[in-house]
Amino acid sequence: MIVMNPMEKFKAKITLFHCINAFTEHVSLSTDDREVKIVKMPCSGMTTEVFMLKAFEAGADAVAILVCPEGACRYMEGNMRARKRVEKTSNVLDKIGVGGKRLSIHNLAAKNSDSVPGLLDEIMSTIKELGKNPAAAA
Amino acid sequence: MIVGEQKPIEEIKKMVAPYKKLLILGCGTCVKTCFAGGEDETAALASALRMAFRTEGVSIEIDEQTVERQCENEFIQEAAKKIGENDAVLSLACGAGVQAMARRFPKEPVYPGLNTTFIGVQESHGVFTEECSGCGNCELGNFGGICPVTRCSKKLLNGPCGGSQKGICEVDANTECAWQLIIDRLKTLGQLNNLRTYIPPKNWKTSNSGGPRKLVREDHII
Ligand code: SF4
Ligand code: SF4
Repeated sequence: MIVMNPMEKFKAKITLFHCINAFTEHVSLSTDDREVKIVKMPCSGMTTEVFMLKAFEAGADAVAILVCPEGACRYMEGNMRARKRVEKTSNVLDKIGVGGKRLSIHNLAAKNSDSVPGLLDEIMSTIKELGKNPAAAA
Repeated sequence: MIVGEQKPIEEIKKMVAPYKKLLILGCGTCVKTCFAGGEDETAALASALRMAFRTEGVSIEIDEQTVERQCENEFIQEAAKKIGENDAVLSLACGAGVQAMARRFPKEPVYPGLNTTFIGVQESHGVFTEECSGCGNCELGNFGGICPVTRCSKKLLNGPCGGSQKGICEVDANTECAWQLIIDRLKTLGQLNNLRTYIPPKNWKTSNSGGPRKLVREDHII
């Protein structure tokens, strides 16, 4: 459990969108202090603003998009599109008081699923710093 | 198509703040194509607004719907049920759509979620350019299909000003010289002689400068 202060303990919720070509889940990514929800996309370029926002609206404390390395998108530019959308959505999150830092995008070296738990640890530190998603439904 | 862009979320929040139940109504034609007011943008804005109010502890119900075209009664009609269930409408259509809504639902407050910018085309993915000013007297035939009224910074009708360099307008480095484009195209079409025809000063009476316009098609009126 994350302990922000003695009053606030919670299990962090993380939503991971990933391109099916970028990553294969082979271990459970959820642990005692984090619940990881996984959304598979045919290409990361399909991760539009509305999907990311809805994930936060549904209560995610952080959302991460896992994409193929630059230049290695099967559909040419899906990962670049995803990055642009993340930038835009991150600005929106700042403006609405949720915090753009909660949204991140990561290029995974050729299907390097082993690096994902490490990424999740980094995301957990961001959540520890920012606390619970203030826009999560009560 | 009509090109528009979403207003800043802070401005939208202020407009809709007095209401407890809001309908965000998208338009599935022009403003969908320019990524401003279609189904996706409607859903994204609804989600962002719900969260924006939630972070401030303000309770507001936000519903969403997108109709094919907000400028036509037949399509607006599809939203009647949801409009009846809500206190106000935030329209993501162009200004014509917003006004068509206000006309059709005289007792319902309707707010614009977009800034309507121009009549244009999608030049390349994500880049929109203004192509027509709706002057009411189209002379594209003289100009090889390129409108100097809209695309020449000085609205010159009888040839270039002489200030362009390498096809770029002297007024704005991001704008192609419309007259360079016209001449190139007339050359391609073998119509360079068009340049010899004197075009008299434009009569702006047929444009919006002549006051609000109305088009009446007697053959469609019973
Ligand atoms: S309401 Fe405006 S944006 Fe929608 S279809 Fe009509 S003209 Fe186009
Ligand atoms: S001449 Fe008038 S109607 Fe024709 S494209 Fe130009 S502004 Fe539009």
